Amino acid sequence: MMLKKDLITRHPLGIQGDETDIISKGEFGAVLSRAGVGKTAFLVQLALNAMLRNRNVLHISMNDPVDKITLWYKELFHHLAQRHAVEEASQLWESLAPHRFIMTFRVAGFSVPRLRERLADLTGQDIFHPDMVIIDGLKFDESTRECLADLKKLAGEQSFHAWFSVHTHRDEETPQDGIPSRLLVVEDLFDIVLQLQPSETDIHIKPLKGPSKMISGLTHLTLDASSMLIK
Amino acid sequence: MDDRKVRNIGISAHIDSGKTTLTERILFYTKRIHAIHDVKGKDGVGATMDSMELEKERGITIASAATFCEWKNHEINIIDTPGHVDFTVEVERSLRVLDGAVLVLCSVGGVQSQSITVDQQMKRYKVPCVAFINKCDRSGANPSHVIDQLRSKLGHNAVAMQIPIGLENNFQGIVDLISMKAAYFDGENGEDVRIEKVPSALMQEATAKREALIDAASMFSDELTEIILEEREIPEELLINALRSGTLTRKITPVLIGSAYKNKGVQPLLDAVTQLLPCPSEMKNEALDMDNDEKPVILSSNPEDPAVALAFKLEDGAYGQLTYIRVYQGSIKKGSTIVNTRTGKKVKVGRVVRMHADQMEDMEVIPAGYIGALFGIDCASGDTFAAPRTALTMSSMFVAAPVISLCISPIDNQSQINMSKALNRFTKEDPTFKTYVDDETKETIIEGMGELHLEIYVERMRREYGAEVETGNPRVAYRETITRKAEFNYTHKKQTGGSGQYGRVAGYMEPVTETEFEFVNKITGGAIPTQFISACEKGFRACMAKGPRMEFPVTGVRVVINDGASHNVDSSEMAFQAAARGAFLEAYAKARAVIHEPIMKVVVETPTEFQGPVMGLLNQRRGMIVGAQDDGPMCVIEAQVPLAEMFGFSTVLRSATQGKAQFTMEFALYKLVPQSIAEELIEKAAKKKKSI
Repeated sequence: MMLKKDLITRHPLGIQGDETDIISKGEFGAVLSRAGVGKTAFLVQLALNAMLRNRNVLHISMNDPVDKITLWYKELFHHLAQRHAVEEASQLWESLAPHRFIMTFRVAGFSVPRLRERLADLTGQDIFHPDMVIIDGLKFDESTRECLADLKKLAGEQSFHAWFSVHTHRDEETPQDGIPSRLLVVEDLFDIVLQLQPSETDIHIKPLKGPSKMISGLTHLTLDASSMLIK
Repeated sequence: MDDRKVRNIGISAHIDSGKTTLTERILFYTKRIHAIHDVKGKDGVGATMDSMELEKERGITIASAATFCEWKNHEINIIDTPGHVDFTVEVERSLRVLDGAVLVLCSVGGVQSQSITVDQQMKRYKVPCVAFINKCDRSGANPSHVIDQLRSKLGHNAVAMQIPIGLENNFQGIVDLISMKAAYFDGENGEDVRIEKVPSALMQEATAKREALIDAASMFSDELTEIILEEREIPEELLINALRSGTLTRKITPVLIGSAYKNKGVQPLLDAVTQLLPCPSEMKNEALDMDNDEKPVILSSNPEDPAVALAFKLEDGAYGQLTYIRVYQGSIKKGSTIVNTRTGKKVKVGRVVRMHADQMEDMEVIPAGYIGALFGIDCASGDTFAAPRTALTMSSMFVAAPVISLCISPIDNQSQINMSKALNRFTKEDPTFKTYVDDETKETIIEGMGELHLEIYVERMRREYGAEVETGNPRVAYRETITRKAEFNYTHKKQTGGSGQYGRVAGYMEPVTETEFEFVNKITGGAIPTQFISACEKGFRACMAKGPRMEFPVTGVRVVINDGASHNVDSSEMAFQAAARGAFLEAYAKARAVIHEPIMKVVVETPTEFQGPVMGLLNQRRGMIVGAQDDGPMCVIEAQVPLAEMFGFSTVLRSATQGKAQFTMEFALYKLVPQSIAEELIEKAAKKKKSI
């Protein structure tokens, strides 16, 4: 699988040089931005990158149906394959697909016990063991802390790491260059926090929290505003 | 003709909730048939059988494609909706033809699993509907429980339009909540509707239910809200109009009750159909623009615009093929010329008729929104007819290749004749159903989109054509393809007295994804004379039908020839065809051939408590689960599963979920067969070869 290797190393998030995940088991990462800037696109790329390294990704969405999420993956993979001129992209895609599992909940229907039950269905029958979980569209408010703490416990038990999307509001008070107040109350649970900041041409990835080595590696990254690919 | 007075409706129901009886009664009250015969009795073979025999006895087709009847100045076309829901082409077609539907539910059984499937489809195609709770005379009847189920299981905003007067044995009539009058159904067959005051014992319940009805309707009319606030008397028409706007947008499902068998409540249902369901121009219909990459175009329903019509059903009549059409835009006139957009053939419209239950009526023109039939036009069902130079089609031209085959053999001579008649008809009706005779075994093979798909056709052959056939084991349509480039340089030479044979071809073959077969001639300097090039192509192409390795069809091969040799006397077309065959075999052996198998997109809908077991089932079948969608009490699991593993899945699924789960299956893509399975297949093929 020469091609696969190529895609990983040339994939911008592979900059860490080695083949490890950005965060490790049991840890949490968050991607912050306002609506429509590209949180999902960013998370899907993290997922694709992990899938290329044979990691299993469980994608949990609170809003979109399965079809739509599948489309996100297809689109971004397609762009990525095109940019790196991957031949036989469809074959590569087929080998990636089994590394992904999508679950969608209606916002009100999501709870950690429920997720735990679902996960037990999957792992108990040896259908799917996630290494990485993406949780897209979880609402962050006063009651989130309990839910996140439960999730953290689950992540430890099942040994996966998780990435969250956090929707910020324009009028929300944010301390200069800091973490918005809503996230601040649960900030201690997160090991890395990235903010997506749109400028005229690009979208900048701005680390707000994380190990300093990682921060320096990430600061120069941007997202292409049209393809949403990480440059 | 006024299209506001037209209703094209379907009656859809769970088996045994009384669809046939209801249709009968409707035809009786609208004076289409003159006597009522009971479906009941016989030996309980099931509703379909009953209706078939009834049809024969009576010489009419109750379940014909479209039966026309009249009710209070409205023209109602009742369109047959297929009872089975497992292959999409036919269901899609019938749902496109109707503008509204009556969802029949049994007052005892309530919302059953098939009602759920049917409802899903109507939701997908945004078909407005009214519900009819039938069999209120049966013991255990509980209409309000069924209304609750409509809300909780199907998510309908169901509102009662009527309440029953008595139930079970004592079911006498209904109270209409709009007029606040009681209706009783007198006469031998319930044909006389007697309107009376609401029985005082029911007054309180009726008033409360009416309040709820008005409340629901007020969401759709500001005028109505105003009147309610001012506490004025509510005009009936205003209330009906408000309910109508709610129904058309599927935000309200009006619920009517009755018992078709006991002749109660059918006339009010007909009233509701005319008052609440849409006329053709109120529905948005889309066609695909063939000049513009099948982009959807909204049709106008204006009878003056260029015509667009869909042939949705074919019937063999005494005078040749009868083609049922629904006109969506423009008009189809007698004597005009229309084009079949699939074949591009021009057709002159001869006789234009309208079907009544037992006779037909000649027409001059069928305008937009109407349903009619054409005579003597050769087409397949699903074809679109349009005015010349209107490149619109109602259904996509893309037809998936069949993924499963079955060999069938008639048991006697008569069946043989009937079978070929039936096959001829079915292939015209359904583009995904194909048939051919195997050259080697001389067996008749039918091909289709799934196990059930073929089973239904075998059953129809038996029932409708009296063709008894024996079936073999279903076979999955595997394919072979190559994965690497391989060169060939083959000489075909024979000198056994008389004129010899000589031809040499050289070049290479390589995998190609876009097409099944491509032949490229790169010969320069006439190494192979031009007149033999096509013979080479023919030779290569012939090899594609049966792969040398497993005898599955070969796809995705590009053959390039770049050199060769010929002989003045001994070269012939035959010789070069043979050379091409040899070359193909030579290269194929080196091109690392693999087997591909059809993968189905399987969507299972199940109560959440069975999510785990269902995933387990899919996983055991080499399925890759794409995702699970949690929707409260129900969840939807989407997976990709090899067709070869899906045999008998419905039985297994049923027993694992107490019959509460549904699944649909459609072809998704071809994928490489895993090594272990491929070896099994090769072994089997080798055995088969030996035994022959």
